[in-house]
Amino acid sequence: MSKTTNKRNGKFRTKSISTILYPVLFGVIIVVLWQTQILHKIIGADTFTLPLPGRILGIIQDNVPGIAKNVVATVIVAVGGLILGSLLGYLLAIVATIFPKWGSGGLTIVSAFNAIPIIAIAPILNNLTKDFSKDPNIRSMLAKMLVVMLTCTVSMSINAFRGFNELKPFSEDLMKSYAASKVTVFMKLRIPNSLPYVFTALRVSVPASVISALVSEYFAEYIIGVGRQIRENIVLAQYATAWAYILVACFIGIIMYVILLITEGILLKGRR
Amino acid sequence: MLAIDYLDKRLKKKDTVSNGDAVSTDIEISIRNLNVSFPDKDGGEPVNALQNINLDIKQGEFISLLGPSGCGKTTLLRTIADLQQPTSGEISVRGLSPREIRLQKKYGIVFQNPVLYDWRTVRRNVCMPMELMGIPKKDRTARVTKMLELVGLMEFGKKYPHELSGGMQQRVGIARALAIKPEILLMDEPFSALDEFTKEKLHEDLLRIWKKTNKTILFVTHNIQEAVFLSDRVVVLSPHPGRVSAVVDIELERPRSLEIKNTPEFNEMVVKVRKSFESVY
Repeated sequence: MSKTTNKRNGKFRTKSISTILYPVLFGVIIVVLWQTQILHKIIGADTFTLPLPGRILGIIQDNVPGIAKNVVATVIVAVGGLILGSLLGYLLAIVATIFPKWGSGGLTIVSAFNAIPIIAIAPILNNLTKDFSKDPNIRSMLAKMLVVMLTCTVSMSINAFRGFNELKPFSEDLMKSYAASKVTVFMKLRIPNSLPYVFTALRVSVPASVISALVSEYFAEYIIGVGRQIRENIVLAQYATAWAYILVACFIGIIMYVILLITEGILLKGRR
Repeated sequence: MLAIDYLDKRLKKKDTVSNGDAVSTDIEISIRNLNVSFPDKDGGEPVNALQNINLDIKQGEFISLLGPSGCGKTTLLRTIADLQQPTSGEISVRGLSPREIRLQKKYGIVFQNPVLYDWRTVRRNVCMPMELMGIPKKDRTARVTKMLELVGLMEFGKKYPHELSGGMQQRVGIARALAIKPEILLMDEPFSALDEFTKEKLHEDLLRIWKKTNKTILFVTHNIQEAVFLSDRVVVLSPHPGRVSAVVDIELERPRSLEIKNTPEFNEMVVKVRKSFESVY
């Protein structure tokens, strides 16, 4: 992050090199230590509980269809819950902005939901949704999605509310001077103003949605999903397979985050 | 109160009769016994922001509201713009209330900062008020081009606000205010955040635009030189409570260029305005 005199190109280049290269280098070093079993000596593990990277990749290669099925299940839960939760959060923020007297107080209560651990809420939601469908896969899916939804709603509602209300000085006066209706102020001013705040929320929600999807799968009735496979394989002491799923889970999170960053780059282009 | 209102109306009537319609329509904004007070934050007595303001502004006039901070000049502008409600008294703009004029979208307002929407390009910022008015897209595009030409920002239409300098941003604000062809341009210390060179350039630009468009301009400032250079009349306000302490006619030739600032006449006017302050303090 060294500052260079050539601001535009220089700074950007050194920054992107350091932000990508250093983490990659660190990762490579860890993998090399791991594969050469030096890592095992350092932390006192054996190749049974901490299988070698080559073996883990081999298992992924041999089980592509099975892994894919579980990945799809997890992604549906994570993305579905993310979308539903974010939409709900955004709607709550709109309601809170329309009724400002109740709004900000109400959102404080909503944020209290964030303090409830997923592990506590997942079994409860499992129980609540048991009559939703005869198909255990579908009712489990709903329970899991609800868990993800809860985690995503709060950060979206609080950030979007700020986005609706933290307006530049006089921008509301400007709208008023053109006799703009409340709806118009929302459409032309509040909603576009909230966009960067939406991405702030998503930067928290996207990783959180993957994590809560994985955790909620632990407690689900129907046995499917990357998170569930990690658990099942650990229970069966198939550590190499468990690690394969852990690796896959990491990739899901990383890919979703990268997609988010690219979308953000496109939609917030031109803004400071 | 009622008696004053009655007298007022009679006086107005008299004016119309004696001077004929030509003169009475000449007055664009008429302010009578205007009082504005704000509730005190600590629950004490309300604070008088403006006390008993009386002022007539002619159509096409360039008028400055000049005074130190806290004299209520911005409040007066905002009350005329219907962004602030008077406690008592009357403002009539072309025979209508400020609210009616605002709803008819006859005001163009330029604020202390440019208030550009940073998700819109320069062109789309200028276009915004016309979108609100439901003007067809074809007309909007033509109008935006004309406005950018007027403020000298033709090449910058596709830029985003943060890519422009402060002076350019304020010019976009002026273009946006003029885009809907307002009758009255209200400017609230629009150049106070700019450096002296940019300011002088914009002063000349503003006078050129004013001459071309023949708008009534109400210009709030705390800068005596600025007020003298731009205005037909300078309304001097004094604080606590805000009231009109003098109205100075600026008898300088038009069109004015920056050279005028080196003339003794200009300095005389500056001294005259400054003296009207000294008599207050």
